[in-house]
Amino acid sequence: MNDALSAWQAIRVIAGREISVKLRDRAFIGSTVFMLVLVTAATLIPVLIQQRVPSVRVAVQGAAAAQVVERAAELGRQAQESGTSLPPALAVFGEGGLPSADISTVEVTQDGSVDTLVRNHDVDAALVGADLAHLTMLGAQGVPSELDVLVRAAASEIQVSDAATRAGLSPDQVTALTSPAMPVTVLLDANPTGEVPPQLLVLVFAFLFYLSVLTFGMSIAQSVVEEKQSRVIELLVAALPVRWLLTGKVLGNTVMALGQIVVILGAGLAGATLAGQGQVVSQVLGASGWFVAFFLLGFVMLACLWAVAGSLASRIEDLQATTVVMQVLVIVPFFAALFAMEPGPVQRVLSYVPFTAPLLMPARVVLGNAAAWEPVVSASVVLLTGVVFVLVGARLYEGSLLHTSSRLKAMQAWRAGR
Amino acid sequence: MVLALEHVTRTYDERRALDDVSFTVRPGRMTGFVGANGAGKTTAMRIIMGVLAPTSGEVTFDGRPLTREVRRTFGYMPEERGLYPRMRVLDQLVHLGRVHGMSRAAASERAAGLLDQLGLAERSHDPLQTLSLGNQQRVQVAAAVLHEPRLLVLDEPFSGLDPLAIDAMGDLLRSHAAAGVPVLFSSHQLELVEQLCDDVVIISDGRVVSMGSADDVRARRSGRRYRIQVEGASPVADLVGGITGVTVVRGDADTVLVELDDSVDDQALLSTVQAQGVLREFAVVRPTLAEIFREVVR
Repeated sequence: MNDALSAWQAIRVIAGREISVKLRDRAFIGSTVFMLVLVTAATLIPVLIQQRVPSVRVAVQGAAAAQVVERAAELGRQAQESGTSLPPALAVFGEGGLPSADISTVEVTQDGSVDTLVRNHDVDAALVGADLAHLTMLGAQGVPSELDVLVRAAASEIQVSDAATRAGLSPDQVTALTSPAMPVTVLLDANPTGEVPPQLLVLVFAFLFYLSVLTFGMSIAQSVVEEKQSRVIELLVAALPVRWLLTGKVLGNTVMALGQIVVILGAGLAGATLAGQGQVVSQVLGASGWFVAFFLLGFVMLACLWAVAGSLASRIEDLQATTVVMQVLVIVPFFAALFAMEPGPVQRVLSYVPFTAPLLMPARVVLGNAAAWEPVVSASVVLLTGVVFVLVGARLYEGSLLHTSSRLKAMQAWRAGR
Repeated sequence: MVLALEHVTRTYDERRALDDVSFTVRPGRMTGFVGANGAGKTTAMRIIMGVLAPTSGEVTFDGRPLTREVRRTFGYMPEERGLYPRMRVLDQLVHLGRVHGMSRAAASERAAGLLDQLGLAERSHDPLQTLSLGNQQRVQVAAAVLHEPRLLVLDEPFSGLDPLAIDAMGDLLRSHAAAGVPVLFSSHQLELVEQLCDDVVIISDGRVVSMGSADDVRARRSGRRYRIQVEGASPVADLVGGITGVTVVRGDADTVLVELDDSVDDQALLSTVQAQGVLREFAVVRPTLAEIFREVVR
């Protein structure tokens, strides 16, 4: 029975424990839920904001005021209709640059008190006046900017049209005056409607990687120290080779880290789909292939070193000291990658450096400035570095794992490694 | 199935933690491993379990050098602790069973049975650290015997236990020994070792200073030590102390404990003291393990 225990079975048992411990860990569940909420909110909120058309209630008193507000309401409606075909950032503005709005009117007779309505916030603003030349806009603390713009546009349009008619211009000429043809803006490298700027996408990916490596790295180190401090490690080492233990630990945590990322990305994509942002979904899916591949390689490359950082400590309290190097190895590349977001030689070089490659090479792919062979070469560099780290890490791990009395230096662990 | 250490030496930098240590642990017998703090007990046990490598020498089981596959069939209880503090008791045992090659089902069944036997069934879903120290120790033993080991190595299994728990632990180890499993355990409680053990290994400063069956060790160490009680010849110590080859270990008015060197004929001594008064006692004294231990370790 016992002799039948293969390496793979043993590694699976070790990895299985890491996974089940993580699944019961309140901090892990809490942070995952928090990220899910954050991502879902991040995909839904902009959409909700974009699609909200302000509705404005206006009191009118006097014939001219009524005419102007009626025209303003019409313009606000037109802006809404034409706005749907524009990119989201411009969607709040219609074709003529006018804001969209739902304007409803409240007619007030000549002896009614417009002031009271405005002061009591029964209406957002009021327009008063029987003569086009003498209109007054009343607001409490301010007037909604959309209304202000629309009313000004409506008033001037009506006055121009009146003046033109009086001057005896033909209806075509009047139209040319009141609705002049505007230049059409054509973007040559435009993103399709609903697309997220690639820089933002890269930033989100980089942040997810950074967060994941840091939290999982720390938890790998902690679980190693826990085994050392509680001497469980002696039971394990008596039964299984140290390399299997290390492999199982790294495998279990990699599965969980990858799982967490996939769930979070999935939630984001589901949110985007629900919000009708199909374009975003296909864009992110297209970009996430390389991201996930580099995430996996980068995570495994660093995970072994985190385990070593844990094994150099003999108590939980030592962890801060032994993991400092690892924290630097994660944080510095993260900021380096952020500063190298602009395409250029720095970005090109950093996308081949093992520590920054998992952040920058997928970024270059998403930004579209990497040749097809580049991510393959860079991934191989990361993979090779990972293999070296795993070998070095395994030896350090073996050398330091059973040293339970005090903190170790890496060199001591190296010499003690068999 | 004899476990044998053969000329095992282990050095840490300059210090020799174990120096040419050889002893055997025989099947069906409880072997007590006794020594002062830092004498090398834990180091020797770790070397048996493969947790440490010896600098030189070898450990064999059944005449063959130990491999990890063989060691996986051993049961081990490390010093102090050896379990995950925050993991649930049953999950923990099942995990360790699987690490030792058991299937999940077999490990679950056996672990539940052991916990029941140890009176911990209702605590099996609690995290280990919520249990009392004595109960944690029981779980620790359950972890060591879970996979029906072919050899048991236990580092200080009795420390921190109350008298009832000590009895229960003793019975448990005995039952394994009775089933033919060699059992090696270390302890500071010498009375306990004396009471439980068939064999004893005494280690001091990394060297084995005495070993064999408990009776042999005591007999060998008893040397020529006699207790003599004579009434009416006071003080006795003055009487016998003058004889060449007789050393007084301690004594009062009537009674004296003496050690004889090889030149002294005990029968001649007997007649000498008999002539001085009423002889009440003239007996060979066998030292307790505690006495031997104090003596050899000093």
